[in-house]
Amino acid sequence: MTRLELLRRWWQRYTSQIVAGFGVLALAVYVQTTQAWLLRELYRGLQGGRVPDTRLTDARVQELETQVQALQMQNRQLQQLLNYQQQMPLVTVATTVVGRSASHWWQQLWVGEGSRKGIAPGSVVLAPGGLVGRVLDVTPHTSRVLLVTDPSSKVGVMVNRSRAMGILVGQGSGQAVLEFFDKNPDVKPGDAIVTSPFSTMFPAGIAVGKVESIDWRAMPAPRAMVQLYAPVDRLEWVLVESYGAKSPLLHP
Amino acid sequence: MVRNRLFSIPRLGGLLITVLSAWAALALLPLRLPGMELAGIAPDWPLIWVVAWSVKRTAWQGLMAGVTLGIWQDALVNPGEGWWPSHALGLGVAGALTALLQKDRLIQEDFISVALIVFAMAVISETVMAVQWSLLDHRSLGQIWLDHQRLTLASAILSSLWAPLVYVPLSRLWQSTA
Repeated sequence: MTRLELLRRWWQRYTSQIVAGFGVLALAVYVQTTQAWLLRELYRGLQGGRVPDTRLTDARVQELETQVQALQMQNRQLQQLLNYQQQMPLVTVATTVVGRSASHWWQQLWVGEGSRKGIAPGSVVLAPGGLVGRVLDVTPHTSRVLLVTDPSSKVGVMVNRSRAMGILVGQGSGQAVLEFFDKNPDVKPGDAIVTSPFSTMFPAGIAVGKVESIDWRAMPAPRAMVQLYAPVDRLEWVLVESYGAKSPLLHP
Repeated sequence: MVRNRLFSIPRLGGLLITVLSAWAALALLPLRLPGMELAGIAPDWPLIWVVAWSVKRTAWQGLMAGVTLGIWQDALVNPGEGWWPSHALGLGVAGALTALLQKDRLIQEDFISVALIVFAMAVISETVMAVQWSLLDHRSLGQIWLDHQRLTLASAILSSLWAPLVYVPLSRLWQSTA
């Protein structure tokens, strides 16, 4: 038997498997390019529920919200006097959480509203307690959120009391690490952490968490463990706020 | 003869259920049911599916199934832009290795041994992921390997416990339509 004959036989025997293999692969790559659009939309149909309207039942919250509004108004007037530009959300959408991260290596959420409600990649996601994350991408009725607890998430933050700046990096749990820029930051356990005015991805002054402990010997600068206010691992609904401006994700 | 059987109704039905079950394995990923998670980590359903598929197939078929499900999982997880670790590598390796184990000759045919294979493959695929993270420079090395320990243990234990649930019906199906 010649070598050519052997090759022909081998080809006849395995051609269907090889073609089928590459066919399935091509289909998979196509699905990848659509970011599993169809599955995510279907998923939302299975899981989507209504956002509980807790504001109607919780009078205390209403009272506090009124106070906050009054303070915000006062604040805005004062800032106008100072010629200061204030960012206000273009859209705020309350939505349910329909799914969790589809891989162990990521801390993500799937939420049940998307581009139809004006959510865009980069929108800020809040929950009772404060900052939760940022929208990675959207389909018409779902969005995928990168949580602040994800090790890929980096948020520019500061200590509210002393304005010491740093970057908050997720740890995959309810805590995150705050890496200070300064060698000798003014910080102590219990300090509140808010987003920094120099962050391009998040509006300034959103509550994030509070300092639990500080490692002064860390190199190159001290680091603090931050307990997040929002219960990130048992969220049921979130608020998505879109500020219109887009900046590249995951690169602060 | 062979050509006729290739497109018979039971075979097409079997193919459809196979594809649907693979999609179901992916659709289970974002779900967290009570009792189904350990330290916030859910079973690795696509890995269980790939192992069940590869046990009695060739290494090529195992590789293709693993890579395909891995690419789909990437679609569910990875941010659109830039280079991110792919699940296709880990699952592809797991599929090919499972097929190469020659289970029929070496190990008894039962779901206990499948659970053991799933345990080993979970460790391997998570390690492949950790190596990719290390090479890609998105996260600090210490963090990656600390996560690796936690994720691997939880994922391997949970996945091997849930493996029979996926393996038994699928193996029945493939036996009946083979």
